[in-house]
Amino acid sequence: MRQLQTMAAASLLFACFSLKAQPNCSYFLCLGDTAQYNACKLVEENIGGHYQFSREFHQLMDSAIAICPRFAYAYREKAAPYVKSGNFIQYMKNMELAVKHDPGTYLPIRASVRCKFFADHQGAIDDINLFLSTHKGDIPSSHNGTYHLLVVKALCYKNLNQPDTAIAILEKLFATEGYYLGGFDYLHLGVLYLETGQYEKALSTFESQKQQNNLAEHEYYWAVTLNKLKQKEEAKAHLAKARELLVPGTQMHDPYHEMIDQIYLVDIEKLEAQL
Amino acid sequence: MKYFPLLIFALLLSSCKGQEEVQKTEKKEYLRWVDDIAFDPLLDDSTFVSCNGEENVFQYFNDSKGMLYKGGKPLIDSAFAKNYHPKKSWDDSGLVRIRFIVNCKGQADRFRLLTSDFNYQPKEFDKRITNQLMEVTKSLDGWETMYLRETPVDYYQYLLFKIVDGQIINILP
Repeated sequence: MRQLQTMAAASLLFACFSLKAQPNCSYFLCLGDTAQYNACKLVEENIGGHYQFSREFHQLMDSAIAICPRFAYAYREKAAPYVKSGNFIQYMKNMELAVKHDPGTYLPIRASVRCKFFADHQGAIDDINLFLSTHKGDIPSSHNGTYHLLVVKALCYKNLNQPDTAIAILEKLFATEGYYLGGFDYLHLGVLYLETGQYEKALSTFESQKQQNNLAEHEYYWAVTLNKLKQKEEAKAHLAKARELLVPGTQMHDPYHEMIDQIYLVDIEKLEAQL
Repeated sequence: MKYFPLLIFALLLSSCKGQEEVQKTEKKEYLRWVDDIAFDPLLDDSTFVSCNGEENVFQYFNDSKGMLYKGGKPLIDSAFAKNYHPKKSWDDSGLVRIRFIVNCKGQADRFRLLTSDFNYQPKEFDKRITNQLMEVTKSLDGWETMYLRETPVDYYQYLLFKIVDGQIINILP
């Protein structure tokens, strides 16, 4: 049992992002916001190794909120485990308050979570638009850093069956000077080209994905595209590569969630049967 | 500058007030972990056991491998495509979550339902929909054992359904 408890402590550190994301308490002091500073310090000094799901963690956040009901960070921290347990009601209840008190920080986070965890694509787009309507400066990433916020927006449009809008967003973003490409950006654009029948563009985009981040997924969709173009032998070669790459490290993976355009062995086997 | 002492005093006052509020804070009742599922003799199989005790049930992502289902998510999708049969007259929409425990033998129980509208407000869902979703979820038999440091453990898993007019639009996570 002791071993299990040790394992619990070790493995749960993986999921406990709170310390990394903790705000700089001195910032509140500089603003003269002592109540928020005190709430922040309380969390900073007592967070210890408390797991996000634990009673102690939530009681600590409640205490911080009691000191300063405007301390948005505590609401977000209370929301975090609920998204991981699929509890959309409690997540949104807490995030409403986090967003109310600090929309600049928490609207982008709520947007990407709505898209990823609740398939709330229109809600995510609304949050992003609201954020962009007042935000000046660099646009942040999704809640876990996987995507630029505008890629999240594009993926939401894809899920709302508006692929042309999604493509327009991605093409414009990728052409923006200084844009730092994400690990799956070209893959998603390539799949959108495939889904809209723009096969030649799809092929060149999968090539770009290969150069940037070699994955099983783009090889699979490459094979699908070639099959559409009746190039079965070449499709077989790419499908074989997809099978080879379908191992940890060269396939899409998120510990919490199935990713958009992620593939499985069963997908490869189905296409093999068609070729 | 002449207001500086006043500012300091105000800050101190604010600080003291904060401390007082901490002491007054009532401790809310929480379970060991939020969203833990306690045994309910009216709902749960009394023969189902969590192998390592209630205090050691993990979460589905704790091994960072994603959902542990034989064949992966496509097999869950196809189980619902095959066995969930909505009627055209069903018009209920919203989010449905079914959460449960998978024990170290890959058996599942303690199924619980959570439902809301698309504004994330709790609501009663059409039981014809939720009963079928529950039935199909309970019939899934591909759950795999989670190992942490080579020890088989129990874990919480959930399935979330986006329902529009009785039809399944998405199955997550």
